[in-house]
Amino acid sequence: MTLSLVMHDWRLLERIVGLTNRLGCAYTSVNVRAGDAHYHATIEFAGPPDALRRLDAQLTRLLNDDKEMSR
Amino acid sequence: MSESAASTGAQLVLDILTDEGVEVVFGYPGGAIMPLYDAMVGHPMRHILTRHEAAAAFAAGGYARSSGRVGVCMATSGPGATNLVTGILDSQMDSIPIVAITGQVRSELMGTDGFQEADVTSIMGPVTKRSVCVRRVEDLERTLRAAFRVARGPRPGPVLVDIPSDILKAAVPRMDFFAARPIATSPERPDDEAIEAALDLLRDAKRPVIVAGGGVRSANAVHLFREFVGMLDVPHTATINGLGCATPGDPNFLGMLGMHGWKAANLAVNGADVLFALGMRFDDRVTGKPDRFARGAQIVHADVDASEFGKIIPVTVALRGDLRATLTALVRGAARREMPHFTGWTAEAKSFGGPLPADRAPHGELSATDALDAFFAVAPADMIVATDVGQHQMWAAQRQRATHPRNFVTSAGLGSMGFGLPAAIGAQMAHPDRTVVAICGDGGFQMSIAELATLKRFALPVKILLIDNQRLGMVRQWQELFYDRRYSHTDLSDNPDFVAVARGYGLRAERVEDAGELRDALERFFRAKEPSLLHCACFPAENVWPLIPPGATVHDAMDGAPHAIPA
Repeated sequence: MTLSLVMHDWRLLERIVGLTNRLGCAYTSVNVRAGDAHYHATIEFAGPPDALRRLDAQLTRLLNDDKEMSR
Repeated sequence: MSESAASTGAQLVLDILTDEGVEVVFGYPGGAIMPLYDAMVGHPMRHILTRHEAAAAFAAGGYARSSGRVGVCMATSGPGATNLVTGILDSQMDSIPIVAITGQVRSELMGTDGFQEADVTSIMGPVTKRSVCVRRVEDLERTLRAAFRVARGPRPGPVLVDIPSDILKAAVPRMDFFAARPIATSPERPDDEAIEAALDLLRDAKRPVIVAGGGVRSANAVHLFREFVGMLDVPHTATINGLGCATPGDPNFLGMLGMHGWKAANLAVNGADVLFALGMRFDDRVTGKPDRFARGAQIVHADVDASEFGKIIPVTVALRGDLRATLTALVRGAARREMPHFTGWTAEAKSFGGPLPADRAPHGELSATDALDAFFAVAPADMIVATDVGQHQMWAAQRQRATHPRNFVTSAGLGSMGFGLPAAIGAQMAHPDRTVVAICGDGGFQMSIAELATLKRFALPVKILLIDNQRLGMVRQWQELFYDRRYSHTDLSDNPDFVAVARGYGLRAERVEDAGELRDALERFFRAKEPSLLHCACFPAENVWPLIPPGATVHDAMDGAPHAIPA
């Protein structure tokens, strides 16, 4: 599973790594690029399909909160 | 838009809290947060000094759980902040809106292992919705405003704001507050097709059951839940966080669901062909073995958080959106249709039950369940109960008569011992004119026993019903049932004299050890205007029944018969 994520707080990467581990997944590639006001991350995740689906859903929630905190 | 005359970061913090509607904060001072405490001198913001930071976090949670408003706690850097962790996670697990503010060492000392320095935002990351450190005073207002917005929803939870002491001391210009911005995502309602699909399932059902979870409380949708179940004459149950959603005395309410839930509730859910799960997250204490939970049922799951769908149990129809909007749509949709009434099925479901099984007290000794039965029989209807965690919590949950879910305050998801007394303090601050009772066991009570001083200082008329069985009772019960009665470190028979301790803190206190003394003692307990302790000295071997063993199903439920109390 490859996700392109927009982070307003670059420290969110720490949360993503922790969550990935907690759900029994791993990442095989991480690429983060700083933009003007955001950070663009492209992350490839590996893991059981069910866990990846849960990870995807939880990351969406995390990024929504990050977006709201940046307003 | 209001105007702030703030001249320092600390004063700006207090002005923002006031502008956000905060009337009381729970906290404990220390070095790095001293500028904020200094700004409190003469400020109208009420501060409740707890005797431990953990209690401040639990109290903020109790305030928020009982009122629906954001609870606020604060502590200093390092150990002050780390002591908040459990209370913050407790709020995260039960989706309770709190904002925690921690002082941090001066910016120049961050990262130097300075005195009382800790990487608080990293520590708090996994236990909060967001955890941020304010590095520039210019960001202070925006960050605090955002913290309140994120804490409030759509799914509520805790947010931590860490502020270095130099930022608290920094001069800020006189400024106008910008009006608090609304949450970007307005409350969502599920799409019409999903609502129609859910109602189709319900219309065609033969054995439907509705479950209320904590999300009904969070969305302030209790009245809509009552309207929905009432118009269908359908059996319904609740998770521990949904207790109080049912109309008091509703004959179609089957009692609490789950490991220590009522038999009728568990059997009805197990036999259901359609299950409406409203604002619940299928905790393992509710489902037991997930692949055998309600396996004959098509499941309609309504939640504001899409990440809950399919997390534990596959769903047939997902209703994503604010529960109030969802229930409004369900009520309107059901009113437009020819919906059946489920009177016959409801009667059948109720027949699954029978009274709660309970152990009998040995001759001359006091049973905890007898004490709680007597307590709930005479308690005022609008009382707020805050429980601690353990056997007494489950006994209380089975017997409670809460008229609203905000009247039953309990640490459900995290199960944090030490929660009960500080949570009751928070609830009493939110509802100064109501009767607030902390029901505690002897183990958890001692984790927060210093908060008796908080009751005394602020003359909070919290009542403490102490169910003392001289054991860590729930662990003892599991050792009896699942570890061949090898009782390892669960004996608290050398407990202190609780009445003497409470009196030492200046409380009114009384002890009962005989069932015959209960009635009069409870009358005095409820009549007291000052903080009071009623110490119930109970026999130690009483168990919580029924019990669905972990990872098992309702058909494996134990009700105590094979496990009579040893002579």
